[in-house]
Amino acid sequence: MKKTVRKSNIKKSGKQHVIVGNCIAAVSAAETLRQLNPNDNIVIIGDEAVPSYSRCLITYYLGNMITEDHLLSHTKKWYSEREIDLHLSTRAEGVDTKKRVVHAVTKGKKVNIPYDTLLVATGSSPIFLPSFPYDKDGIIGMRDYKDSCMLKGWAKKGKKAIIIGAGFVGLKSAYGLVKHGVKVKIVELLPTVLGRMTDLEASSRVRDRLCQNELIEIELKNSVVATRKHGDGYIATYQNGDEEYADFIVASVGVRANTDFLENTGVEIDRIVSVDDGQRTTVEDIYAAGDVCRSRHIVTGDWIYNAIWPVAAAQGRVAAANMSGQGRTYEGNIPMNSVDFYELWITAVGDVQLVGDDIEEVIFKSSSIYQNVKLRDGVPVSFMATGNVDGAGVIRAAIVSQTPWDEFVKKPYAQILPVANQSR
Amino acid sequence: MKAFHFIPDNCDLCRKCEEACVAVCGSSKKESGGYVPHIRVLQGPEGPFMRLCKHCEDSPCVDACIGESLQRGPDGLVIQDETRCIGCFMCNMVCPNGAIKTIMSLEKAFKCTLMCGEKQIPTCVASCDRGALVFDDLRAHNNSIRRKKIKEIPHK
Repeated sequence: MKKTVRKSNIKKSGKQHVIVGNCIAAVSAAETLRQLNPNDNIVIIGDEAVPSYSRCLITYYLGNMITEDHLLSHTKKWYSEREIDLHLSTRAEGVDTKKRVVHAVTKGKKVNIPYDTLLVATGSSPIFLPSFPYDKDGIIGMRDYKDSCMLKGWAKKGKKAIIIGAGFVGLKSAYGLVKHGVKVKIVELLPTVLGRMTDLEASSRVRDRLCQNELIEIELKNSVVATRKHGDGYIATYQNGDEEYADFIVASVGVRANTDFLENTGVEIDRIVSVDDGQRTTVEDIYAAGDVCRSRHIVTGDWIYNAIWPVAAAQGRVAAANMSGQGRTYEGNIPMNSVDFYELWITAVGDVQLVGDDIEEVIFKSSSIYQNVKLRDGVPVSFMATGNVDGAGVIRAAIVSQTPWDEFVKKPYAQILPVANQSR
Repeated sequence: MKAFHFIPDNCDLCRKCEEACVAVCGSSKKESGGYVPHIRVLQGPEGPFMRLCKHCEDSPCVDACIGESLQRGPDGLVIQDETRCIGCFMCNMVCPNGAIKTIMSLEKAFKCTLMCGEKQIPTCVASCDRGALVFDDLRAHNNSIRRKKIKEIPHK
């Protein structure tokens, strides 16, 4: 039997704003919606069993570096204080744009949730390939709380893990797993670790630091071409024909946007949801924010896929303002990320991967520090640092404002950065 | 909302502000035996300059904080729950003022949370007898300059 959930626990007279997804884009949107519309209904539909938390922290939770209370930061009270109607363990399956309802399933029951405005903040999921298909018993990705709990359990029993992909999630998962004494082999197709963030120099520094722990082995320019069940675990076959046993496997070769439930709605999707500067999709009153959609490169103005936390938080707020009829635009951001492994910090900002005749590099190198700035026409386009990342935001500001390098190095704040004292 | 303003011409790098910060603030944490103040005054090519949190309105550090350690507090202050910092240094990556202290030995980042001082005057400001540090309603002014800069960036 179909049940209509209209203003279920919380009754308000205004519009109904429905948010699908429950991570940072969703909660920042909900918070803004509540501030702007005290009399409207706000409904959040989340497919997980727990309220919102920071997904970036799950690998820290896996490695027992933070407690469960720290991870699960948003309690149900957070929602009730803001009069947000929270539906947990509820999966959106489709949208009827004519009747303006979201079709969802909760505990095997179908529910229809009507909306006046709809925000898609469903994020992304790990990619699996036929050579390593998802298997709830031993081949998973690392994306949510459930995954980290699963890996924690396996880490107690298993002695050996293979991680496919040496990107951000792969390395951080390895970092967490070895704290349980699990031997981890990381296999990466690219010649560098943290592909989007590093060059060969930075990559080798990160790799050396991680491999100081004897439990971590990193093999570059290799991949897993097949996996098969063997006893309680799996046997992975590598590109060169070698085989290796692992108790479990973590896939971290990338993510794809969760757009399935938008099929046949008319929302334009080119792998990710197309939005405009106000987070509007191509269908009226449907908005998108976070890892599910594109965003602007703030310098070039190009549409890029910049699936990072700060972008999601900002997009959520902009979407909420527009859902409330307040015209706001999101100017975008640049690709960036920062992480540490065994007290080696890595920060990368901007288009680190740029190469070409028009790209000039300014480099500072010592035994413990590596900093690299790329310039195009004398203007910084990227900054990458390991060992000493102090003041990275100062250089980020110069990239965003397109301050010529010669001008930047004369500014007071530039003195913080060893690379700014290097001659070109 | 008041904010810090630094007048380099009046500063002679006496560092009384740094000493005052360390003396009163528990979160001017220890680093290898010594203390690191939140306010740092350095010699630049064109005179002294200050590194200190300006509690800016759009506070990019709060958006970037994956541990939800940095938060927008009452009165527009940017406050920090240090126990929640996991040391990713994302805040350092986005702070245009270089105001985040990245303390590697503690694997944590720290910043001024403006919790010190009497009669609503921060300790560092009270300690400055050169007139180089002012705590006044200048934040709106600073932010309008920043917003203007963002608008000036050409888009394709």
